Amino acid sequence: MKGYLSVTLATTSCLAMLAALFMVFVYVPTEVDQGIVQRIFYFHLPCAWVAFLAFGIVAIAGALYLWLGHKIWDELGYAAAELGMVFCTLVLVTGSIWAKPIWGTWWTWDSRLTTTFILWLLYGGYLLLRAFAGDSDEIARFAAVLGIVGVLDVPVIIISVRLWRTIHPAVLLTRQGEHGLQDPRMVATLLVSLGAFTIMFIWLLWLRLTTLRLRTRVAMLRRNLALLEAGAYR
Amino acid sequence: MAAFLNFSPAGGDQSEGAGRGNPFFRSLLAMLEGFGAIVRKDLRLEVRSGESTVALVSLSILILVVMVLAFGPGGARRAEVAAAALWIALIFAGTLGATRALLAERESGCIRGLLLSPVEPATIYAAKLAVALIFMAEAGVAVLVVLVLFFNLEFGGGLLRLIPVALLGAVGLAALCTLLATISGRVRAGAMLLPVLVVPLFTPALIAGSKASAAVLAGQPLSAVATWLKLLCAFDVLFVAAGYLLFEHVILED
Repeated sequence: MKGYLSVTLATTSCLAMLAALFMVFVYVPTEVDQGIVQRIFYFHLPCAWVAFLAFGIVAIAGALYLWLGHKIWDELGYAAAELGMVFCTLVLVTGSIWAKPIWGTWWTWDSRLTTTFILWLLYGGYLLLRAFAGDSDEIARFAAVLGIVGVLDVPVIIISVRLWRTIHPAVLLTRQGEHGLQDPRMVATLLVSLGAFTIMFIWLLWLRLTTLRLRTRVAMLRRNLALLEAGAYR
Repeated sequence: MAAFLNFSPAGGDQSEGAGRGNPFFRSLLAMLEGFGAIVRKDLRLEVRSGESTVALVSLSILILVVMVLAFGPGGARRAEVAAAALWIALIFAGTLGATRALLAERESGCIRGLLLSPVEPATIYAAKLAVALIFMAEAGVAVLVVLVLFFNLEFGGGLLRLIPVALLGAVGLAALCTLLATISGRVRAGAMLLPVLVVPLFTPALIAGSKASAAVLAGQPLSAVATWLKLLCAFDVLFVAAGYLLFEHVILED
């Protein structure tokens, strides 16, 4: 059953990603103003969506872990945080690649960029905590608390950064959203790409979750074995 | 001061007399009593050793020295640099202060005694928050005085208006630091981890606080920075509430 699910997810995400690649590079018309570089947008936005989805899962899994106390919620939170970090990095990287020819700079302190970057730092801290602290029920609780606090902070970050930029007027008024996707083929490509990334995210999440569950199981078996041996020697 | 610090069990008799029959009132009084006892204990410890005060005040002054050396004392952007210096000093003094307040408990397993005492974990959080805030306020006063001297500011209305801004920021920072220092105190390389966890979470208050401070130092009235003050208040309420509710999950041991 588990094997089937994994294989199905892998095949679907593979096919969907191929379709998305085909649409991005062949099917969709080139944007008039920005040229070829605009096509990165069809990967940029899905990455952002997946990153935010992952961070939402971290918080929900954290709350569920504190409430129900089952290890699987902790593992889900960990897996989602790792993937969220990967996709958040991809958002920043693809955004920079797009911004250099269009805005003339790799980085600008625009409100969305700043918010994404702060989120990236937040979850970098979360992963550092997990990397430093190892694996125990205590750390699982700490991580859950941190995940919840992090998500609570998101609306305040968004508001504060937006206010910060309105007081200092943004140098660059162009925003991706305002370019509009005039051609219906652009909308179709974006939707397929979003779907492909979401399925791929679910697949990766499933793989990571399975690995983490195995790790927990191995740790438990080791502990039991050690207890058994200690008993045998006595 | 001495009377305040002199903890006596007389509080227990009072609560029994006043709160008999009303469970809510009684539990509130018990909470306040526990809160007062922990705060008094920490302050007495501080009055006798003076460790945290010395560390925090000297750290903040050193940060200001670095800022003055880097940016120069005068110049057109004096208010902004002074505001930046204030907030940098506040962040580092704040993380250090909160760590100190919790570290004292961790040494020789004092925290276990606190947890065994009939005090709610949330009350311990409130007390530690108050102590961290008092440490931060001490450092803040030192920073303000030195700030005026170093940056040739005027002792006047601008400085007075800076107090509520810095105080609102300090409440949020203390709330965040108390919660996260409990976590970082328990893990390897925790001292290194704490700023990495605190600073990104504190960014909204940092933006609001430093913008409001710069405006106020440049001579604007508090009404001009009302938006930032509201944001600071929202941040404080959010994180004091979050810390109060979540502290139980980080302080209890397996």
